[in-house]
Amino acid sequence: MTELPQPDVPDRPWRIWASVAVVAIILSGALLGVIIIPVVQGRSAGIDAFTAICRALGILPGSPAIPQIVSRNPPTPVSQVVWTPAVLQVLADAKVDRGRAKVQEVCVACHGEQGVSISTDYPNLAGQSGTAIYKQLNDYRTGSRTNQFMTSVAQALDETTIADVAAYYAGQPMRNPNPATLGAPDAIVQLVELGDPSRNIPPCAACHRHGAGGPIDAPVLSEQRQEYLTAQLKMFASGQRRNDVYGRMRTIAAKLTDSEIDGLAAYYRAGLR
Amino acid sequence: MRSVDRLCLAHLWLAFGAFAGAAVLGVWQMWVRSPLGAHTGTPGDYYMSVTAHGVTMAYVLSTFFIMGFGYFVAVTALNRPLPGQGWAWTAFVAGIIGVVMALVSIALGKASVLYTFYPPLTATAWFYIGLILVVAASWVWCVLMFVSMTAWKRENPGVPVPLAMFATVANALLWLWTTAGLTVELLYQVVPAAMGFVQTVDVGLSRTLFSWTLHAIVYFWLIPAYIAFYTMLPRAAGGRLYSDTMGRLTFIFFLIYSLPVGLHHLLMDPEHGNGTKFIQVLLTAFVAAPTVLTIFTIPASLEIAGRLRGGRGVFGWIAALPWDRPMVLASGLSFVMLAFGGLGGLINMAYGMNAMVHNTSWVTAHFHLIYGGTAVIMYFAIAYEIWPRLTGRQHESFSPLRWQLWLWFVGMMVMTLPWHWLGLQGQWRRVANFNYDSPIIAGWGPLVIVSLGGGLLLLASALLFVRNLAVLHRSVLPAPSGSLYALAVVPPRHVPAALNGFGLWNVLVLTSMLLAYGYPIAQFVIAPSPTAIVHRIE
Repeated sequence: MTELPQPDVPDRPWRIWASVAVVAIILSGALLGVIIIPVVQGRSAGIDAFTAICRALGILPGSPAIPQIVSRNPPTPVSQVVWTPAVLQVLADAKVDRGRAKVQEVCVACHGEQGVSISTDYPNLAGQSGTAIYKQLNDYRTGSRTNQFMTSVAQALDETTIADVAAYYAGQPMRNPNPATLGAPDAIVQLVELGDPSRNIPPCAACHRHGAGGPIDAPVLSEQRQEYLTAQLKMFASGQRRNDVYGRMRTIAAKLTDSEIDGLAAYYRAGLR
Repeated sequence: MRSVDRLCLAHLWLAFGAFAGAAVLGVWQMWVRSPLGAHTGTPGDYYMSVTAHGVTMAYVLSTFFIMGFGYFVAVTALNRPLPGQGWAWTAFVAGIIGVVMALVSIALGKASVLYTFYPPLTATAWFYIGLILVVAASWVWCVLMFVSMTAWKRENPGVPVPLAMFATVANALLWLWTTAGLTVELLYQVVPAAMGFVQTVDVGLSRTLFSWTLHAIVYFWLIPAYIAFYTMLPRAAGGRLYSDTMGRLTFIFFLIYSLPVGLHHLLMDPEHGNGTKFIQVLLTAFVAAPTVLTIFTIPASLEIAGRLRGGRGVFGWIAALPWDRPMVLASGLSFVMLAFGGLGGLINMAYGMNAMVHNTSWVTAHFHLIYGGTAVIMYFAIAYEIWPRLTGRQHESFSPLRWQLWLWFVGMMVMTLPWHWLGLQGQWRRVANFNYDSPIIAGWGPLVIVSLGGGLLLLASALLFVRNLAVLHRSVLPAPSGSLYALAVVPPRHVPAALNGFGLWNVLVLTSMLLAYGYPIAQFVIAPSPTAIVHRIE
């Protein structure tokens, strides 16, 4: 911006002193925040000056005032599936046609060509989230989840085929997104929509409906087989099934009463074609 | 009515119409969180409503009000036509399209991400594109404000720019600086994620970029209130502004100290070192400087008015002020809310004390008191002051105007003081419902109901406000003439170039942003952190 000369009002001192003031304030902040305070705090926490300064800058993790505690526990994951960009890319590259071929060859016997299962003990897969199918098949393959049929089926599949099958079933007709409209006891609807905070039970719908928040591998539950759901909830409650990361479902299912398990399974069965 | 008056009224009516709708949502949210309305609606409904309320209040009300008010100031303070009116109307239409895109996305349940977005949560791309359109419209306004001022300076060499316009351009420049963070976050990170081009997002970086915007945006909302304090209130009270230079310094301080401070919104975040947070907390303390100047200058101006009206003694001038005038009344009430909100803000900015109130209702109370209270009550006062100039009609009675301002003040205090207390008790914010069966939470119930009562007063006030403006359009009284803006006790004849333009201050903003934000942002490029999986709301 061009300023017009105003000879009777000196501008130069303004430029100099305003700049000095602003830069001095920031530099004194840096001197205090990055050097003096971390060094003094680090000394009483047994941290050398260089490390303390690096921590204050954020180059090294941790606070300059507290010795960093390092966990020595070996990790024991309940599932080998990690949602890395590479895994997501495998899912994004999946081919529905290849998936259909594999389904017609193998899965159709129990889960049906459209993903509607032949028995109430087997889950419906039509419109299921692809990430959910991918995770469960991988868990069967690696032994994180076991089943007398599925373990051997999954071990015969490679990662690409799993992604193809997941994409195929995910593309089958969308499930009814809101079984609440089909009628269910108020207490069960409340459990689904609001959970029960007094028992620290979160709402089922927070994770298990299309587009809900929560882990991306959470399956969609509407139009699922009642007997299958009841069996899974009971297996989570007893700890027999344990491929849920952070034990989320084991924690929740263990707090549900038998009648709530039955009610929820019936609720999610509603709308089944 | 001149074309530019229609332009101002279009912006202001859009702002206040959206405001009234969002006020209804606010009360509904308080209802479902209270023991009275527990179990009404689902958490999904709640977050949809919070998103609509926040987006409307934070982006629609503020941006369109400030644009409309800015056009008005540019024409009335500079006494010259607004350049580029075609651009202004085009920007207005683009802004409306943007608002509709964002609100429809929210109403369809595809954008319940709150107005602060929170990646890796990702709404439909239409939501973000709509908001970018609103921001782009406001940039056109910024350019027009700057062009108006430079054209006036060319025509009036050596004459100080009128304070109202100087402050408006300070706000426009502040807005250009501050929206850079949000725009980079949306265009570089969030929109590609929403469109499915990328599967992961660096949340630390996105939070840092949003913090760039998040503090200064509040000063963008607040500056119109200060423009009214400095340029309208002294005249409305029947006096003069104590010091024009103090006014210029105040707005310059806002420009340079509200920007390099955003990391104080991330005090609990792990992605930044303690030292870099310390620097910005120290700078945050300096944001109090313009308010301290104002607390001195404005009461001094009012004292002049009070004594001219015959006030005597140490406090007698206060009683002598014309409190029946909406601008004077609103300013007094605004100062009270600024006192409470400002003191609460000092606690938020302190590293240790912030840890205790972080993510509690304390924070919600603080920003409602500062923005909804201090700033928005002055939006009302400004509207009451400039509507007669825009329509050529005068209010038939000030009584409903005073009622509306008092209702807003009492409602805001009754709503936010219990929130502060509940925050100290640990009541968390951003949750859809509380389990009042728990003995600890049950104890919160009565205060939550009291604050709901405050919310109802606010809604009544919001509706009365819209009514007061609507009936003015049919008033038969002619508008007052004469200047709207206050003269200074010693009107400036010449001021240093530094106090008559922004070249120096823009250089200093750039310098301080580089020093304060340079490394905190560069670290994400030097040593990228683990990214989070995009979670799309579909």
